Amino acid sequence: MNWVLFGQQLINGVSLGAIYAVIALGYTMVYGIIELINFAHGDVYTAGSFVALATLVLLGASGHMAAAALAFALAVTFAVTMLVMGATGIVIERFAYRPLRGKQRLAPLLTAIGVSFSIENLLQLWMGPSPVPFPQIVPNPFFSLGPLTVGQMQLVVIGSSLVMMAALQLFVHRTRLGKAMRATAQDWMAAEIMGIDINKTIALTFFVGSVLAGAAGVITGLFYGNIWFINGFRAGLIAFTAAVLGGIGNTTGAALGGFLIGFIEVMTAQYVGFQWATVAVFSVLILVLIFRPTGLLGQQLPERT
Amino acid sequence: MRRAVALASILAVLGLVLLVPGTGGVPAVSAATVVKIGVDLPMSGGEAPNGVPTNNGVLLAIDEANKAGGPYTFQEELKDDAVNGVHDPAQGAKNVQELIADRAVVGIVGNFNSNVGKATIPITNAAGIVQISPSQTNPGLTKPEFGALDVRKAHPDQINYFRVCPTDDLQGPVAADFAYQNLRARKVAILDDQETYGKGIADEFEKQFKKRGGTVLSHDGIPKGTQDFHAILTKIKSENPDLLFFGGVTTTGGGLIRKQMPDVGLKIPYEGGDGIVEDEFLKVAGDAAEGSYGTVASVNAEKLPAAQGFIKAYKAKYNQDPGAYSANAYVAAKIIIDAVRAVGPDRAKVRAWVANLKNYKSIIGTFSFDKNGDTTNKVISVYQVKNHKWEWLTQRSFEL
Amino acid sequence: MAAWRALRSIAGAPSRARLGGRVVQRIAPYRSPLLVLLLFLLYPLVDHNAGHVNAAADAAVYVLLALGLNIVVGFAGLLDLGYAAFFAIGSYTYAFAASPFYGLHLPFWPMLLVAAIIAGVFGALLGAPTLRLRGDYLAIVTLGFGEIVPTVFLNLQKYTGGTNGIVGIDQPVLFGYHFGFNPVPYYYTLLGIIMLSVVAVLRLRDSRLGRAWLAVREDEIAAASMGINLTTTKLLAFSFGAFFSGFAGALYVAKLGIVSPDQFNFTVSFTILAMVVLGGMGSVFGVIAGAGILYEFQTLFLTDLTQWSHSLGAALHLPLLTRLNFVNLKFLLYGLGLIALMLLRPEGLFPERRIKAIITERVSEEIPPGDVTEVAGVAGSAPAAEGTPPREYAREE
Repeated sequence: MNWVLFGQQLINGVSLGAIYAVIALGYTMVYGIIELINFAHGDVYTAGSFVALATLVLLGASGHMAAAALAFALAVTFAVTMLVMGATGIVIERFAYRPLRGKQRLAPLLTAIGVSFSIENLLQLWMGPSPVPFPQIVPNPFFSLGPLTVGQMQLVVIGSSLVMMAALQLFVHRTRLGKAMRATAQDWMAAEIMGIDINKTIALTFFVGSVLAGAAGVITGLFYGNIWFINGFRAGLIAFTAAVLGGIGNTTGAALGGFLIGFIEVMTAQYVGFQWATVAVFSVLILVLIFRPTGLLGQQLPERT
Repeated sequence: MRRAVALASILAVLGLVLLVPGTGGVPAVSAATVVKIGVDLPMSGGEAPNGVPTNNGVLLAIDEANKAGGPYTFQEELKDDAVNGVHDPAQGAKNVQELIADRAVVGIVGNFNSNVGKATIPITNAAGIVQISPSQTNPGLTKPEFGALDVRKAHPDQINYFRVCPTDDLQGPVAADFAYQNLRARKVAILDDQETYGKGIADEFEKQFKKRGGTVLSHDGIPKGTQDFHAILTKIKSENPDLLFFGGVTTTGGGLIRKQMPDVGLKIPYEGGDGIVEDEFLKVAGDAAEGSYGTVASVNAEKLPAAQGFIKAYKAKYNQDPGAYSANAYVAAKIIIDAVRAVGPDRAKVRAWVANLKNYKSIIGTFSFDKNGDTTNKVISVYQVKNHKWEWLTQRSFEL
Repeated sequence: MAAWRALRSIAGAPSRARLGGRVVQRIAPYRSPLLVLLLFLLYPLVDHNAGHVNAAADAAVYVLLALGLNIVVGFAGLLDLGYAAFFAIGSYTYAFAASPFYGLHLPFWPMLLVAAIIAGVFGALLGAPTLRLRGDYLAIVTLGFGEIVPTVFLNLQKYTGGTNGIVGIDQPVLFGYHFGFNPVPYYYTLLGIIMLSVVAVLRLRDSRLGRAWLAVREDEIAAASMGINLTTTKLLAFSFGAFFSGFAGALYVAKLGIVSPDQFNFTVSFTILAMVVLGGMGSVFGVIAGAGILYEFQTLFLTDLTQWSHSLGAALHLPLLTRLNFVNLKFLLYGLGLIALMLLRPEGLFPERRIKAIITERVSEEIPPGDVTEVAGVAGSAPAAEGTPPREYAREE
């Protein structure tokens, strides 16, 4: 066994998994609070890339900018994208999911896919049917870690994902709003009695999840240098799988699931054959669920049929 | 009971809706005979980058024909064979049947994807209507040794399906020869996008490269929708090949693979088929595109003055460069238009005229159709990216 | 045991003497559906456009698929996001058995049944790992199978033809009549099979097994404590559901003449699910309508919208209409259509009466949109008032 190669692939897996993990967080939060598989989440992530591109173009950002200006442009881009996507999340929840809340379990699933198709088509109308190049403004030099090399962009991806995950954990566990979210997820009726505004809390959940997706959109735009209106579909599917793998509703689990899927994908590419990556991911998922029916970190749900 | 009435009325409305296009249709606009050219391409969702520029080529040919005047007014009858954003053989079959049902349609341009063709050719073959594809390169659609007789069961001798693009079993081997002889590659790694075209060309490349005595270190397929190629490229780097061959098109990975090669420190030549020889590839791969090789199954279009006119007209009308198959689609439509002008809008006569086409001068070169309906144009050009542009490098004539 | 009993209950086997009277009695409540059926029988005689008849035949394939999925999702309440996997298995079964690929040319009609049985067996096999899972965990596993099965067909090129698929699949022959590429005989065959399937599904729903599904759907724990064997009940739901997709698959590829893995992607699974939910989960006639409407909307309405608007524009001399191009908006229209329909009729177009029970019951756990106390009050009383309490639950031996 070539351990250097293994290590190198591990780095690839972590950077790939970090992106899945951030998207999975949004899935798992929404699921945790209203038990909805929000299929539109992947498209919110892609829309984030498009908004980021538009912002960068407006700011006139390019690779020749001075470091300070560049940092400023990036900060503005992140802020704008995250806010726009957060607002989009609230709008989606308000018009496509809230009217159906409590009516029929599968109806919101269909509206979610309806929203997903609509977003995809709008993005296509906006920037055309072909992949759109994303300006390469962050240089990508390589650093050596002993025998391993890691690109700067990979570090950015991993680092920013970790920061977002930590921020989310702090938010959920250390703030009043986070507490409200947790309470609502556990028992909305009790939460309501305690004076928590359920509608606001759910909207906030969508806001936070979409903000994370938007940020992931900016990061992947910078990392892959290309955005395409249909990218969100597969990314969303994989991220959803990650959320379930980790135990849906559990933010730590979603992150763990994301990294695990990234790891499975790269190791399949290295040792089995790239074309089996999807099969490997879902096989592991099924195996895990057979032995742990509520995912890796999921708790046994109370009976609720 | 109210429920049943509602059900019945909805179904009745549905039935009406179904009947409308059958009985309706466009009334004759002027005295000139309206002749329709049916087009079946994937136009929506993720397939739009394939279908839209190709369809533009057809529209351009029709525009020019109508501007030139004559006793016929040409019209396009466009059908989209993508369902939920993916090309669908069943939808293609239905579209083609609808086109055949429209008596004004004299010939069909399409389809785009080879597996759609496998569902539509049997139908057009049975109906005896001419079908010309701009882009389907799978040998199984025309060549009996690849099972084409299963596709044209109804009239195996009356060829009705033609294509203006050479097949994968020509392009793949030329690419392999070029890699082996000109680039002196001895060990290669291959990636393909697992689509009919990409896998076909990659398999033919592998066969020929091995025949030459080269080594194929690995041949992997790309799962649909992959964006991150770092892992597979890291693996390929560890195998230490002389060249990476990609079978597929820009959007299924051709561009992103090239772009991510420097990310993992993979500094070897990159070669692909005509699926990556397009401006799209330059945009997606960015600076990394420099030095990539690509084969195209036609003579160098830029050296033909007629092609220059086409490129100019296309840019003027659509405000962008032609797509990889725009010129082919233009030629396909042009052949049908010329056939109608020569023998009138009669499906049988048009088919016979096209089947006997010899030395047809077009913007993609002069060619004939052989006994299976394939173009006799067997010149394969090799291009290389130089200064952010695909530059013609050399051309090879294919012989088995 | 349960399977055999269920089969016997489909067959029904009433005594001959009572048959005539029973038939009239049984048909009486279905007058309107039979009237609609008559309309459909006449359809190919009116519309001679082969493309339209073909679309209607494909819609009929989806009707079969929706009927099958309805057993899993509507009757037994198991959310299946990977139903296309069974459609693929049924399709490939017939393609393997009757094409030049393996040089086998087995006759169509027996293979139709074999394809359905094999799909049914896979339904139970792939259903087995999901038995311990609840709700959306089950959904994701089925989604996983929906992704795995086509990928396996894609990757095992040697045995399945890979991305090229299998071409030249034999077309059915009935008493010397070759179906060929004429969609009309397929259309009538499908109508016949749908009729049989509807009878079978209705009988299945009212059988002991069908009531067990309902019980499992409504309350798994209560069902189990009533003596219902959850394992067999659920597996049979998957199995019967998959069975119909086998029919659909064999007919579909025989008509099309080609099968390839990209015909069975996630959007196919999703489309079938949307048909079931749109029509009204659990309601047999509802899902038939849902499948027909959604299919025609997707493949005819959206595809021909541009053409219609151009024709209309030419007829009314409105140049604006002739310039519209809806092809670019197809997805958007589909998406918005789905959202609008679900918002207007969340319980589906023709909801099953029994399903109201779970809808209202779910309210007690879901979060209501407005005032909590009021809705909670309704939720508390609704199931008892509106839900048809399941009659005599059979005890499993």
